[in-house]
Amino acid sequence: MNYRYRLIALAAFAVTVMMVSAQPAAKTATATKTWKQPMTPWGDPDLQGVWPSTSMIQTPMERDPKLGTRAVLTDEEVAQKAARNKQFARIETGSANGRVPIAAGWFDYGKPNRQASLVVDPPDGRIPPLTPEAQVREAARKKQWDEKKDSPDTWLDLTTWDRCITLGPVGSVLPFAYNNGQQISQGPGYVVFRNEMIHEARVIPLDGRPHASPQVRSWMGDSRGHWEGNTLVVETTNFNGQFFIGSQGGGFGDSGAVATDQLRLLERFTRVDDDTINYEVTIDDPKTWTKPWKIAYPLRREANYDYIYEYACHEGNIFMHDALAGARANEKKAAEAAAQKGVK
Amino acid sequence: MGGKPNLNGIWESLSTANWDLQDHSAYAGPMWELGAIVAVPAGQGVVEGGLIPYLPSAAEKRKQNFANRRSADPEAKCYLPGIPRATYLPYPFQIVQSDKDLLFVYEYATANRQVNMGKPREAVADSWMGMSNGHWEGDTLVVDVTGLNGKGWFDRAGDFASDGLHVVERYSLTDRDHVAYEATMEDPKVFTRPWKLHLTLYRRVEKDSQLLDFKCIPFAEELLYGEFRKQPGK
Repeated sequence: MNYRYRLIALAAFAVTVMMVSAQPAAKTATATKTWKQPMTPWGDPDLQGVWPSTSMIQTPMERDPKLGTRAVLTDEEVAQKAARNKQFARIETGSANGRVPIAAGWFDYGKPNRQASLVVDPPDGRIPPLTPEAQVREAARKKQWDEKKDSPDTWLDLTTWDRCITLGPVGSVLPFAYNNGQQISQGPGYVVFRNEMIHEARVIPLDGRPHASPQVRSWMGDSRGHWEGNTLVVETTNFNGQFFIGSQGGGFGDSGAVATDQLRLLERFTRVDDDTINYEVTIDDPKTWTKPWKIAYPLRREANYDYIYEYACHEGNIFMHDALAGARANEKKAAEAAAQKGVK
Repeated sequence: MGGKPNLNGIWESLSTANWDLQDHSAYAGPMWELGAIVAVPAGQGVVEGGLIPYLPSAAEKRKQNFANRRSADPEAKCYLPGIPRATYLPYPFQIVQSDKDLLFVYEYATANRQVNMGKPREAVADSWMGMSNGHWEGDTLVVDVTGLNGKGWFDRAGDFASDGLHVVERYSLTDRDHVAYEATMEDPKVFTRPWKLHLTLYRRVEKDSQLLDFKCIPFAEELLYGEFRKQPGK
């Protein structure tokens, strides 16, 4: 999660699983006529379970512009992607020159699939342009990031992911190289969407109550849900103006954008069979993007991924200590070298 | 709920347990700069029999913890609270109960844990919140917690255990809006014998009651990393 690891994570992203011939399609599953939506004892559609996003790791957030409005890759394109990325395949097992396999056992690789991008709307699979005011804001943020990322003055120069605060309600669900566990728990009147990444648990009331006061702002927002048929629809507002979304999920300082407190999310969860929930989220912040945009992909059950283990990110965050202490040590060294020069 | 008591709701302890589990007079807080704001209210202890039965060496460590509490308390650092402390932190928590597993969500630090009601799971690694396996004994929810890493404290006074800690919690509804909570702590590395604490959990009955965000890391960073802040002019 620190930026050094991130370079490797990016490479790992590109690793396509060695079995190229695998699954035929990643077309979004649709409800079959024979499958029946199970219900909870109190009559809500039953979405309970662990539904990891692991299977979608190989699908990038944004589509290759060459594909235009074509949302599905051909078998040939999937094979080409695999061949192109084979060079990264040794990250997990260690390289020929004997370097330590830093990623051993850490990363998930997903499954080959044909969904060309997580963004499905606009139809070109690209995040819409920033508004003029957001362009100015983001340029300043990225300049600051470039200047400070390798020598942060304080923790505030690093990302909210580095600081283990949160990836926010969307970044926490996006497929990433690790911690893809997503869990839905339900009780009468409530759904909880629980994310393994930095241990989130977003409690969603279903009783039609209004949102909390606009004075109450938060990292994860204020969620209200209702059922439309068997689909859970969740509207989230009251963000604190620090919602980050990047081209690889949340948290990369040099990509994506920070939304304002005008952000509104609309999520839809539709269970389509025993093992699949179709997840979609529409991201709307007129002060940041020129139009709303939508991410959609399936969350799929996995045989050995049925429990969410604790990710105590902050408690084990040696990166923050090392990044800040290292920056100060470098400055001290530079000052000493300069003083030495002065003496000579 | 499936013939079992319904614990769904938002709950909170009203006690001084998070200040000090044992009986205590009022005393000054660890920061004189904040005056009476962080002063400790007097409290009637929640420990059965009054005293936590520390081994002599552990009693010494507890004293050190108390002296260093301003910066050593994991709560000051916004670390996950562990069990049982999560239950009586001065923040609400929500129990989400279905006919399957239960989920406990705590407002403090977005801590949360699943209570497995099916086949018990083994704690494959130690963690802050541990591994919780539950079952019903009559109308009481009994939660067996293992795999705790021993880094959590029980309160702001420095009460603690080790990674040998085993906690058994019991939740019993006494009426619609009250739960009698009991926790038994067993840790032969720290205590001479198992001991119990008892608390009442009160339902948050306000109609608009909900858990809010208390992501406290930003409030702890100066404490944790302040010494590495770039000094002006250097």
